[in-house]
Amino acid sequence: MTALLETQGLKRHYRMGESTVRALDGVSMTVEQGEFVGLLGTSGSGKSTLLNLIAGLDRPTDGTLRIFGDDLAQMSSTALSLHRQRNVGIIFQSFNLVSTMTASDNVALAMMFAGVPRAERERRARELLDAMGLSGRPQHRPPELSGGEQQRVAIARALANKPHLLLADEPTGNLDSRTSAEIMGLLKQLNERDGKTVILVTHDAALAAKYAHRTITLLDGVVVGESRS
Amino acid sequence: MTIGDSFHLALRNLKQAKLRTALTVLGVSIGIASLAGMVSLGLGLQEQFVGRFTKSGMFDAITVMSPADRPGVLAGGLRGRGAGRSGAGAGGPSRAMPEKPRPPLDDDALKEIGALQRVKEVYPNLRVPVELKYEQFAEPTSATGVAMSARNEGAFQTFAYGSFFNNESENACLLSLDLAKRLDERDPKNLIGKQVTLTWAASSTFAAGAPSMPDNPLQLQRAEARYTVVGIVEREPGPGGLPGAILSGLMIPLAKAREMGAVDVGSLQSLFRGADQGKSYMSATVKVTHAQFTDDVENQIKEMGFMAFSLNDALKGAKRAFIILDIVLSLIGSIALAVSSLGIVNTMVMSILERTREIGIMKAIGGTDGDIRRIFLVEASAIGCMGGLAGVVLGWLVGRAVNFGANVYIRSQGGPTGNLVSLPFWLIGGAIGFAFVVSLIAGSYPASRAARLDPIRALRHD
Repeated sequence: MTALLETQGLKRHYRMGESTVRALDGVSMTVEQGEFVGLLGTSGSGKSTLLNLIAGLDRPTDGTLRIFGDDLAQMSSTALSLHRQRNVGIIFQSFNLVSTMTASDNVALAMMFAGVPRAERERRARELLDAMGLSGRPQHRPPELSGGEQQRVAIARALANKPHLLLADEPTGNLDSRTSAEIMGLLKQLNERDGKTVILVTHDAALAAKYAHRTITLLDGVVVGESRS
Repeated sequence: MTIGDSFHLALRNLKQAKLRTALTVLGVSIGIASLAGMVSLGLGLQEQFVGRFTKSGMFDAITVMSPADRPGVLAGGLRGRGAGRSGAGAGGPSRAMPEKPRPPLDDDALKEIGALQRVKEVYPNLRVPVELKYEQFAEPTSATGVAMSARNEGAFQTFAYGSFFNNESENACLLSLDLAKRLDERDPKNLIGKQVTLTWAASSTFAAGAPSMPDNPLQLQRAEARYTVVGIVEREPGPGGLPGAILSGLMIPLAKAREMGAVDVGSLQSLFRGADQGKSYMSATVKVTHAQFTDDVENQIKEMGFMAFSLNDALKGAKRAFIILDIVLSLIGSIALAVSSLGIVNTMVMSILERTREIGIMKAIGGTDGDIRRIFLVEASAIGCMGGLAGVVLGWLVGRAVNFGANVYIRSQGGPTGNLVSLPFWLIGGAIGFAFVVSLIAGSYPASRAARLDPIRALRHD
């Protein structure tokens, strides 16, 4: 069976003026379907860069990155857009909701790009918000919602096009501990009940240890450790 | 993402920034208004000008003369008799020049010309030498035959007093204002309804109404009739634009001139012709259905062996001048439109800057570069269409105002008023379409900039 995600010697270098920043410098890893993987590392370790590459928001400088066997490094920008649309749902630390749109419209926006008809979009957006425990607030705009509520909207949006892979980049970084626990609980539920593969980027070893099946530790762009919990 | 979705998103975005959208739309509408206003001014002036010329009856008219009747070619005219009428029409230009028959301009020839396509009517230009008597006044002059179709054309558009003939069989005449003043110095208006006496020399054939051939066409007879003055025209009309024509202040219906005009002393050689040749005219006027066919008909008449002239070339020159005027006016109008299209670019660039993060989000959740480009293009073109629509309305209002003001001034100067601004449907459609195209062009740079944004950087943008 093909692994959901497989990287080989994955590199991402940036030019910063005269010097070259080696954000990722040869990462090889595999993620199987249904796994909950933690990517642990300090700031600048390359964990977010790796997540952006997996999300198809960025292109590797070298190496391969296969999702269901297709190499993202070889894809056109339109193909990468389709990959973001269908294969992955991204959850950000800063939520990244469109502040002028209602919660429901934010979720529906993802389906709009996927070509889902309007009535179907609205129905499904409501369903997802209900499932995230936001049944009373679909017409609220992000500024009217608490941090935890906004992150629930963002998770609903990530699930909109039924991706196999959820990418969470410090999803609890802007939340208090109680809300953090709720959001992590939701991700755990999505992994266990719905079979979504989750990749969690965090600097918090305890958080990774608590929720992830497997934790990969990055430092200066290379994998320095891997542990199962 | 469907086109409907792009529209929905774009309109939502425009509503988010109502003031900015309104100001940009206003900018575009001023540009379109100035362009549409300039073009419609050009069109209005052209319609006024060319319309007046066309109505003058000079541009749809061709003056035809027989080469046989040219002064000094008396012998040539007689030599050409033998070829007969039938050969002349079919011969065309292929015939050898020296032996080319010189067809007489007689009733048969007029019929033949009248049968040409696009010819509305043909009538001979008749000037009958007469003596005009009114009270103490008596003077030899000539009476010009005027076709009924000349009503409302040329000199007959403006009457000082009275009006045109009612029908062509009445004994009615028109006078020029100059002649009328000589008849009644103090009050030429009094002449309307008065009778003048015309005396002319008629050859016995026609004056007597006898259809039989006269033994001697030179046998002349004095004839006299009383004519009622029905109208006085301000200007003396040139007969069908005939160059060098002797203008006459006295005009009678063409049919009357035919009746009395057995002898046209203006062309002496007609006196020497045999009756078998019928009556031939010195010149005739051919009216075509539309001024644009004048050239065509003129060439056909020349091929028949006649001489023909028209003033259509002058009108062509005027039209060319108006095209240049239109171009100049629309260039001036385009400056405002160019400025307002920069306004679109500016608005879109600002809007993209403001919504950088939103663009990043849309890309992160699966929006393709094409989706993003389309959203912004639809936004720009929506601004363009609204601006175009508002611009046409604004242009129309300004046009009405300018027209009103200009006509007040023209009236105070004693000139003819008219609609100086013309806004046809094609211009309305064209202006809105042009605004649409301009906004698409103006929006294409910002839109592709938005489409090319790096999603990671866009997401980091505050």
